[in-house]
Amino acid sequence: MKVAFIPQRLEQRTLLVLLLTALVAVSVVSLLVGAGSVSPSQAFSMLLGSEDSEAYFVVWELRAPRTLIGIAVGMALGVSGALLQAVARNPLAEPGLLGVSAGAAFAVALALVLGASAASLRISVAQVGALVGCLCVLGVARWRGVGNDPIRLVLAGAAFSALLGAMTSLILLFDQRSADEVRFWVIGSLAGRRLEDLWAVLPSMAFCTVLIALIARPLSALALGERMASGLGHHPQLIRALVVLCVALLVGAATAIAGPIIFVGLVVPFIARAFAGPDIRRTLWFCLPIGPLIILAADIISRVVVSPSELPLGVLTALCGAPVLIAAVRARRLPML
Amino acid sequence: MNLPMTLRWLKPEFRKHGAAALVSNDSSMGIAPYDDVPVKPPSGYWRWGERRGDGISILIERRAVWVNSGLMIVLMLACIAYLSLGSVILDPRDVVQALAGQGDMMTGFMVQELRLPRLVAACLTGGAFALAGILMQTLARNRLATPGIIGIDNGATAFAVASVVGMSVSLAPSAMALTGAVTAAVLTFGLAAGSGTQGYRFIVAGIGVGAVFGAITQLLLARVAIDTANAAYPWTVGSLNARSGGSVQLLGIGLALGFVVALTLARSLTVLRFSEATASGLGINTSARRIQILLLSVALTALAVAVAGPVGMVGLIGPEIARALSTPRHVPVVAATLAGALVMVLSDLVGRTLLAPIELPVGIVTAIIGGPWLLWILMRPQRSHA
Repeated sequence: MKVAFIPQRLEQRTLLVLLLTALVAVSVVSLLVGAGSVSPSQAFSMLLGSEDSEAYFVVWELRAPRTLIGIAVGMALGVSGALLQAVARNPLAEPGLLGVSAGAAFAVALALVLGASAASLRISVAQVGALVGCLCVLGVARWRGVGNDPIRLVLAGAAFSALLGAMTSLILLFDQRSADEVRFWVIGSLAGRRLEDLWAVLPSMAFCTVLIALIARPLSALALGERMASGLGHHPQLIRALVVLCVALLVGAATAIAGPIIFVGLVVPFIARAFAGPDIRRTLWFCLPIGPLIILAADIISRVVVSPSELPLGVLTALCGAPVLIAAVRARRLPML
Repeated sequence: MNLPMTLRWLKPEFRKHGAAALVSNDSSMGIAPYDDVPVKPPSGYWRWGERRGDGISILIERRAVWVNSGLMIVLMLACIAYLSLGSVILDPRDVVQALAGQGDMMTGFMVQELRLPRLVAACLTGGAFALAGILMQTLARNRLATPGIIGIDNGATAFAVASVVGMSVSLAPSAMALTGAVTAAVLTFGLAAGSGTQGYRFIVAGIGVGAVFGAITQLLLARVAIDTANAAYPWTVGSLNARSGGSVQLLGIGLALGFVVALTLARSLTVLRFSEATASGLGINTSARRIQILLLSVALTALAVAVAGPVGMVGLIGPEIARALSTPRHVPVVAATLAGALVMVLSDLVGRTLLAPIELPVGIVTAIIGGPWLLWILMRPQRSHA
């Protein structure tokens, strides 16, 4: 079997290589730039080998984990956005808008109130919450109707998120300690997240990678329509279930590490489709560098724009992503997936 | 057709006798004079007014009369219960006396000074939210579209929270909430402008704007000490504790005006439920009407949010009750307003009394009632549009 789905056309390959190069460059910038007192030149000379314990600490203990987490979160969010849009056949499907983040936040609040504090527990809890939230919204919006009316799904997601938000506030009303913790958790940010959290979600991310490799082909057949996919020997219901599982695991993992970061899952596939065309397999390949690229770029901006303090990443992506959503919906005709 | 001018306007059965049938009252011509033909109202309606044709008569839907008066009675009972129950339980007869200005001083104080203003605020906000909800839902042809979901609430919350956590202490939170709601609405209008008349684009633009304001609110809450965050809490869930007298008066005036406007728009609303082409064909200026309805809905929501904060779900539950009770012939504007007020009064009553020393904010009670309801709306097989 050919190493499948890598774009075959030359210019697309070049583009992919360029994007990867850009990702490496942005990662380096992410190591160099920060809100703290260590200047880019200091950090750069440290990377080249000079002895500077403060710069060493800041770069390797603070910024490197942050960059790694940013890459993982960006990949997870970008890919899950593309998958969700493909399976819902809806260009507006975005994990953050569909109650996935709200589900994860609700589950985390519940776990905190019940006395959990261990990082690993919080990760699995957030993933379960994301799965439940995602299933609820997609389930209630009903598969078949979704393709016809993108707005219906978004509205269902917004209503459901509002409900979960109210439930979260109710829980927090009775528990001040948890309220104090959760209010920091509900704004997505890469600052101060620990590398152990990343190791805790890596297994599920690896599992998802394998799963996606297996279902990418049937999923692209599904784009032809349910009957066509069945005729080609695939099982649409099974594929959808697996995709939803993947999306929930990935978004749950990303949300558990970095908190809810909205609109990335909308913007990344949007750009990736512009490069890759309609094939979901190529789009997924393009999502891999674009997601981290956007997350890291946003994170760098969030560090410098109000330094010496920081703007949380979730706020920045909301500010930048909302115009994309509005532009997408203002377009004369929504691209039907 | 070579008929004289007058005859063209006559019904065929009158043409035989020509204009004479109209001018003479001679019944020997074998047809009843035009005016005496009893026109029966359509089934399910009462005709009120002139029976003889040349005056104005109004068709009143029987079901609507029953539903509205029924809702009114239930609302009255709920109000009495609201005034009697609480940390001190009063006799309903004393309450009625106290309302009339008689009876015991203490009871009078509790009813008139403590509970009545809150009751008025509950009724007005509930009515305004539900009225705004049914307008928006009819416009968007989607029973999930409430002004709260599309960002107006979030804008109000963000501004009110900013005022509480000290960004601009000089402005009262309710004034800031009003400003925020208007800002969010203007942003949404501006961003959705020029995207045609399709209502759903407006909704998605609103969701985007709402997401931005939501993120800002969370940022503000995370920046301050936990005590300040707690002080801002009512504005994040919606509560009748934080109301200010001036904003209630403003809402009262706004709701009274808005209700009248909504009644005059009701006929267009009914027709707007059909397709764009049908509505235009029936003589509705659809784009103008859409903008009027949107503006009205947004204004009502903004005024209500300034009183109570972002109370979700009332705009969903009220219209839903009204639609369930009414016939699908009309958009039940009156019933929705009454049902919204009823929901709000009952929810606040439950919130005040259920866990007595702790007061549940009314927004949480409505969310808990509305949540399962929402899921049920989403899950049941789709029959028709809102």
